[in-house]
Amino acid sequence: MVQLNRRKFLFATGWVAGGATLLYTLRNHALAVAPTIIIPDEESGAAWVQIQPDGSCRMFFPRIDMGQNANTGLAQIVAEELNLKVEEIDAVAPNTSDVPPLAVTAGSMSLTAFSRPIATAAATLREHLRERAALKLSQPIAATLDEVGGFRTANNRRVHYADLVDAATTLVEFDESKPAPTLYTFDSKRTKRQVGHSVKPLGIRELVTGAPVYTADIPFDGVLFGRAVLPPVRNASIASLNTSGVSAVKGFIKLVQEGDFVGVVCKTPSAVDAAMAQIDVTWHLQEPLNQNEIDRLVDVDAKMAEGDLEHILQDQAHRIDADWAIDLRFDVQVQTHAAQEPRAAVARFNDKGAKHKLEIWTGNQDPWGMKRFAAMDTGLAEDEVVIYPQRLGGGFGGREHYEVERDAVRLARAVKQTVKVQWTRKDEFTASRSRPASAHRLRIAADEAGNLTDWWHGYVSGHVVLARERLPSWLLSVARLGEDMGVVKGGVSPYNAPHQRVECSDVDLPIDLGVWRSLNGAPAIFAIESAMDELAIQQRLDPVDFKIKQMAEAHPRLQHCLERVRSISAKQALPLGEGYGRGFASGIYEGRCFVAISADVYVDPETEQIKVLHMCCAQDVGMAVNPGQLRAQIESNLVWSIGMALFERFEVADNDIQSSNFDNYAIVRMSDMPSLDIEVIDRSEIAPTGAGETALIAGPPAIANAIRNASGFRPLSLPISFSDIR
Amino acid sequence: MKLTVNGVECQVASDWENENLLMVLREHLGLPGTRFSCGIGQCGACVVHVDGAPISSCLIPVADVAGKNILTIEGLADENGTLHPLQQAWIDESVPQCGYCQSGQIMQALALLKETPDPDDSDINRAMNGNLCRCGTYDRIKKSIKRAAVVMQVLD
Repeated sequence: MVQLNRRKFLFATGWVAGGATLLYTLRNHALAVAPTIIIPDEESGAAWVQIQPDGSCRMFFPRIDMGQNANTGLAQIVAEELNLKVEEIDAVAPNTSDVPPLAVTAGSMSLTAFSRPIATAAATLREHLRERAALKLSQPIAATLDEVGGFRTANNRRVHYADLVDAATTLVEFDESKPAPTLYTFDSKRTKRQVGHSVKPLGIRELVTGAPVYTADIPFDGVLFGRAVLPPVRNASIASLNTSGVSAVKGFIKLVQEGDFVGVVCKTPSAVDAAMAQIDVTWHLQEPLNQNEIDRLVDVDAKMAEGDLEHILQDQAHRIDADWAIDLRFDVQVQTHAAQEPRAAVARFNDKGAKHKLEIWTGNQDPWGMKRFAAMDTGLAEDEVVIYPQRLGGGFGGREHYEVERDAVRLARAVKQTVKVQWTRKDEFTASRSRPASAHRLRIAADEAGNLTDWWHGYVSGHVVLARERLPSWLLSVARLGEDMGVVKGGVSPYNAPHQRVECSDVDLPIDLGVWRSLNGAPAIFAIESAMDELAIQQRLDPVDFKIKQMAEAHPRLQHCLERVRSISAKQALPLGEGYGRGFASGIYEGRCFVAISADVYVDPETEQIKVLHMCCAQDVGMAVNPGQLRAQIESNLVWSIGMALFERFEVADNDIQSSNFDNYAIVRMSDMPSLDIEVIDRSEIAPTGAGETALIAGPPAIANAIRNASGFRPLSLPISFSDIR
Repeated sequence: MKLTVNGVECQVASDWENENLLMVLREHLGLPGTRFSCGIGQCGACVVHVDGAPISSCLIPVADVAGKNILTIEGLADENGTLHPLQQAWIDESVPQCGYCQSGQIMQALALLKETPDPDDSDINRAMNGNLCRCGTYDRIKKSIKRAAVVMQVLD
């Protein structure tokens, strides 16, 4: 058996790193309360690949699967490097004791951050095996050629990997002093067999046959069911509590109350529902919870009237008194994740002598974070806790916190039995940390030729990454001296103007906030792309030509996307007649993902509905490791764009969260679907850029611009409803 | 209490007779392929067939379906593991992303094709509009239903 890993600590247990997470121990403790942010390098355990005695290949999947299928792409890379088929790779999902900590699965970083370490690991292993093959074949290394699943000589004498590996464990270390192996994945001249092909997502059969793949599906003998009461806001405290009816519920086992934590454990799921219905709780809120309060807190005009906003993102010869051609206020309402799976966790405490005193099964974007938080919550040492990561039924940024895990841990500890907790749909709406509201004031001035002279974008958003209750207050106050990385996303435009200022303030809102697909990228770029579209209309210029010209050749990849989407959209004529419109928008996400989108809409006066008819998208993804899955991510982002533009509005009123289920928070349905025309622009010489969030930045403004084109009405607030159009 | 699930007669223990059908399937009978999502019949994730008709199993007390024939996602493939044409179409079109809603989508699509063997877009919109997919796989679901419809008509 030959395996590649960074340190010999894996030796002791074969698969298992035990507690010896040497390299990261210090950093780990320094960041015990924050999401795990360790990004792999060539030496890290993330790049763990193994050839077994029978010649088969095993790798562990370093990413949490939640629909993005990043692990399939990474398996394609390993297969490319080792001259295998992706189906031949035996993938293992590691638990938190198997491998050193891996970064939270977020930010569309999986392929970007992991592709090169994984490729290097597999290529290093391949070259080690080539040395063995050369000996076996009595050939120089240079004459030992690649073959499917092994090597061959020029006259076709073959050895398979199985001939080169025996039962003894050998660890191959990445040696920086040696020349780096050729990475087939990144060799743009190579005709690739795995990378660049639309391989089916690994595990797809399980998903269409109803196999147990999500947390709540795992069978446990004698498992009990529990749930905790969730406050409307995390900084609320219990004002009054009446639990007197709980004990009469058939199947009730235990009421658990620890400070503001109140939960029940019962024999069956319906007994939990019945017991929870008997808990009458009122909350003391620290601030009023209603829409007016949210609107007041993000009122960008009021804040800008007071002077500079908190963070200056761009400041170049700014003039406050330019002759503004555009001076528009854009508002974006709160949206939430509404993942299809209500999150779930199972917790079990074991007797002394067990390897782990606490075991937790959960679908969470940050399993190593869960391990640290559970240790802190229970007083156990970190290596006494193990997390078994499960597939997520949708993540979208909403599953990084120790929450349903906490509920399961506390209830399991109280009853000393295995407890399963699954949130209700209402719990999901109440406690998912939603995307904040934001408001944007965008002013643009142009010269007589229509070229931008002045750009001034000020915006106020609720906190994202540094939202309250995401970090402890002592750390938050320090962290907030800097910018909130979620709030600044998308703020700086790709357009050129000699005088520019972009400023923002990040504020607390009376609801719990957090990371949501694209963070502030979609709200900020909705404002930017709407304002540029309006200026083009004012100047009687074609919006696409105008935008390309104002980029001043600084963004050729974005320009190419816009040109491509214009020509793709031209394949289908807009229907003639009143009420039809086409709009364009584009944007850059994280400085590395480039996208342009067109939308065709019909504003129907009879049904009083806005219908998206057709959407086109051109997206530059860097290397397209799996075009089919990239396309799937783009489709998903286009669907979310329709939801963001037209449907999704998270309602609060009367000091409570009002959105509680799919009957009062509308998401896109089958009948809302437009036809789609998507072009994945493959640049095989550039590392993959990630695609999980990109198209969402340009979809909503494309729809808004199409509505402007169809009706003359400039949408200024999302979501847009027909009644807005006057 | 007894149910017939995927052709097998199952005994429901008395402790579980007050549960809804969904939780009995998932937690008592070991068939977790039918998923819980909204709990109020608003999303379609828990659709199963009761005596051939699609129904949201989160809404139905198990007592109401005593003695009836239940078909779940686990019962679609044949005993040799050959997938139902709908499941195969779902793979061929690479439909699932997170996958959580797909059991319900497939069961709802099965009901559609029983009634309408050759559905057009508006038939599909009508039949599938109650089945939500947060990942937004609708375009591929539509293609898969049409693909499976062709296969099933040939098999008939």
